[in-house]
Amino acid sequence: MTGVLLTLPGLMAQLLSGAALLAGVLTLAATRKPALALSVFLDLLTAAGLLRLVGDPSWQAIATAAVIVGLRHLIALGLRIGARNWTTSTQAPGRHGSRPGVVIDRLLRPAWRR
Amino acid sequence: MEELLQDVVNVLVSIVEACGAAVIIIGAVWAFARFVWVGLRRRDTSAFVPVRLTLGRFLALGLEFQLASDVLRTAVAPSFRELGQLAAVAAIRTVLNYFLGKEIAEERRQVAEEAEGARAGSGSTSAHGPRDPA
Repeated sequence: MTGVLLTLPGLMAQLLSGAALLAGVLTLAATRKPALALSVFLDLLTAAGLLRLVGDPSWQAIATAAVIVGLRHLIALGLRIGARNWTTSTQAPGRHGSRPGVVIDRLLRPAWRR
Repeated sequence: MEELLQDVVNVLVSIVEACGAAVIIIGAVWAFARFVWVGLRRRDTSAFVPVRLTLGRFLALGLEFQLASDVLRTAVAPSFRELGQLAAVAAIRTVLNYFLGKEIAEERRQVAEEAEGARAGSGSTSAHGPRDPA
């Protein structure tokens, strides 16, 4: 039973890592929203990281799981800050809406450079 | 006597960890299938949120099982090295459980706000809707 408990979660963790990548790419293709696709990817990657901790994990597995958890929150925080800045900068003038030309112009010449 | 206790605890730890792993695997496989389904059929951002919430609940439940097995393991942990590893794993699981709970609450709040906004929008539409000509 212990042998199965050691091998099956490891195998499933590898499969889940592949599934996470697949689901992330599919989400990106379907919604064209990188933040959402990254969230989906990291959600399933977290599940894979948890499965690696089942049984008697090595220090490397523990460190990997800790790095994934930390990285996930760091990326989520960065995306939230970026989305907030982007929303306020594109909504502030409100005259031109969000036409691609206006968005590109705002990217190249932000308000603080004018 | 001590060896018997150790054997019993090891069996219990294996069972509880297997339950936790099963919960995580079932939740992740289900969520993957739903992600694929939602991505191919609906292509709607809001459709992904319930799937992520359910996956978060599965992961939190699996973590509860794994933390229970950590507690059981403290009954027999002979060396300091094993105790250190146990502490690290328990710390990771506890931190993850805490953040998962926060994420679930946050996403649930967002879903409720969106639903309330949609309801208010439909309510104002019906309030300004077709009136009696008389």
